[in-house]
Amino acid sequence: MKTIDKLITWSLLKSPWILHFNSGACNGCDIEVVDALTPKYDIERFGILQKAVPRHADILVVSGPVTRQQAKRLRTIYEQMPEPKFVMAVGACGCSGGVFDGCYGVIPGVDKTLPVSVYIPGCPVRPEAIIDGVVKLIQSVEGKK
Amino acid sequence: MSEFEKEEKIKADLENHFKGFVTNAAVTRKNRVWAEVETSKLPEVAAWFKARGFDYLATVTGFDEGENLGAFYHITDTHVIVNIKVKTPRANPSLPSVLATYPGALSYEKELEDMFGIKVAGLPPGRRYPLPDDFPTDQYPLRKDWTFVPPAGETEAK
Amino acid sequence: MSKITIPFGPQHVALKEPENFMLVLEGEQITGSTINLGYNHRGMEKAAEGRTYIQDLYLIERVCGICSHSHTTCYITNVEELAKCETPKRALAIRTLVAELERVHSHLLWIGVAGYEMGFETLFMYTWRDREQVLDCLELLSGNRVHYSINTIGGVRRDVSAEQKAEVMKRINYLVERTNYYIKLATEEPTVLARTQNVGKLPKNVAIERNAVGPTARASGIISDVRKDDPYLIYGELDFKAISHDTCDVFGRLVVRALELVESYKIIKQVLNNLPEGPIAVKVPMRIAPGEAVNHYEAPRGEDIHYLKSNGTDKPERLKVRAPTLANLQSVSYMLEGGWMADVPLVIAAIDPCMSCTDRAVVWDPKKGKKQTYGWEELRKLAIEQYRRRGVDFTRL
Repeated sequence: MKTIDKLITWSLLKSPWILHFNSGACNGCDIEVVDALTPKYDIERFGILQKAVPRHADILVVSGPVTRQQAKRLRTIYEQMPEPKFVMAVGACGCSGGVFDGCYGVIPGVDKTLPVSVYIPGCPVRPEAIIDGVVKLIQSVEGKK
Repeated sequence: MSEFEKEEKIKADLENHFKGFVTNAAVTRKNRVWAEVETSKLPEVAAWFKARGFDYLATVTGFDEGENLGAFYHITDTHVIVNIKVKTPRANPSLPSVLATYPGALSYEKELEDMFGIKVAGLPPGRRYPLPDDFPTDQYPLRKDWTFVPPAGETEAK
Repeated sequence: MSKITIPFGPQHVALKEPENFMLVLEGEQITGSTINLGYNHRGMEKAAEGRTYIQDLYLIERVCGICSHSHTTCYITNVEELAKCETPKRALAIRTLVAELERVHSHLLWIGVAGYEMGFETLFMYTWRDREQVLDCLELLSGNRVHYSINTIGGVRRDVSAEQKAEVMKRINYLVERTNYYIKLATEEPTVLARTQNVGKLPKNVAIERNAVGPTARASGIISDVRKDDPYLIYGELDFKAISHDTCDVFGRLVVRALELVESYKIIKQVLNNLPEGPIAVKVPMRIAPGEAVNHYEAPRGEDIHYLKSNGTDKPERLKVRAPTLANLQSVSYMLEGGWMADVPLVIAAIDPCMSCTDRAVVWDPKKGKKQTYGWEELRKLAIEQYRRRGVDFTRL
């Protein structure tokens, strides 16, 4: 690996920055994602920061079953992220559409719009599961090195 | 004497004031009054209720009854909910607007247009609600004869 | 003064649901706004017609993750009314208990979000940490922190044991103390007052005209609370006050929600100390006789109203949900107009929108032809910075 790639990967592994995108969720997963920031779970101690701008993010955390109105925006946000980038589909809705599978307003599941690296099930997902998902992602990147 | 005096009075007043234009009026339980009203009279009925302290149009429920489409206007003074039903023929569905009385009704009336194809006269221009911008304008999801067919290729993971 | 139009759909840290506000600015003041919705449209009402009543229970729960119990209870009240079943008193009491716990978690969440929007991040962390106590209670009683699914057709799924009651009481007592601290903070801390007083004014007559509901309306002096006006569950037998305030601004909304927390604790204690004996559910047939029902419910954000029509089969004919935020959005344009751009995040957050906006704000000046993109975070920081220049600074706290 070139030095610059090694540097980028190292910073990703040490301190992954996440961008949260709600693609039409009920907010259940969203408040659990935010909960992960609060003192009881506190993902900031792992170096995980929540960012507001795609260009600063390593991991795109997507909740919701991807409503049609949001699908285009989701794609745009993904394209604005620099490599290396990963997508985490959070919650039953993110994984497969959840209860909204079959509804005309959704393209069920994030993986129909973007390539997904990690699926975290749950309705809603627990903050512990989110942390576990990020850890597994980091381990898999480390493993590929 | 019925145990629902307040509700019975509302029903009786409505029937008397709009003689001949109200059918199927009923008090089904405490704080609930139902009535069907001649469609053209809807704005007048709305104004009549508002003048009587029924300040809130809680929501508008569109429906598809086959031959007719229509809507329920759920008008309330926060205690009693009055459910006014109006119908319109499926072949050419349209309803008058109640925006003059209830300016908060904009989203509800837009929803009737998007979901049932009921034209509501007098709506201000603006984006459609609630369907996405690229949803075809001649398809009305909440009609009984509309079924969802996922476009090809949408169910495969990337 | 050049007119600038911002399509404003911030990426909100705490609440995320897509919606889009178009703001017209003159300098830093807002002169006009329109609201564009629909980003969260999933097609639930149509889906509900194709599923059985019990399946719909789980679907309707997910209208909103923050007030899921509100939606299921309102829906189930309709179903039970149509099925003409006698829901046991104990089940109604347990539903009330969960309903008030939900109100507590939602209001604490909101106080934290309001704090975050102001730049008062410590408040955000404190309230969300305390909120964990409520989530623990809910998990204890129902098995899940969010989407408790305590309801079933004919009653509730789980009973409350003596140990659970003791655990919940312990946590509620802790929360009572913490809430008194928050009330003090909200009403006495000058920096909070500077950010919230006279911001987002909504006079009483406008609130009525635009059909505002919930704490947004009660902060404008309208004493209307579905729990008092058209009592459901066991609210008719409980001792509590409907809180209202007459300052018509964000400060009022903050005070109303903080005081409602106190009332909710009172209700929770009353319910726990007087749980009626009896079964927790009755059997209800799968097919519901034809009929129509309308019910409303005081969700944490305001009046939630459901309409249900049954047709003799095991699937509903028509299900309609109107969540409270849709009713409150009509008032937001009024509240924004004439205000400062710096107040936009807090004013929108003050109606406790069950929505988030993931669009980005684009500011363009047609005269100069310049374009600049703001995300919500940037706008929020801009707002905090503008207030800091006026002497309102939370970092000193």
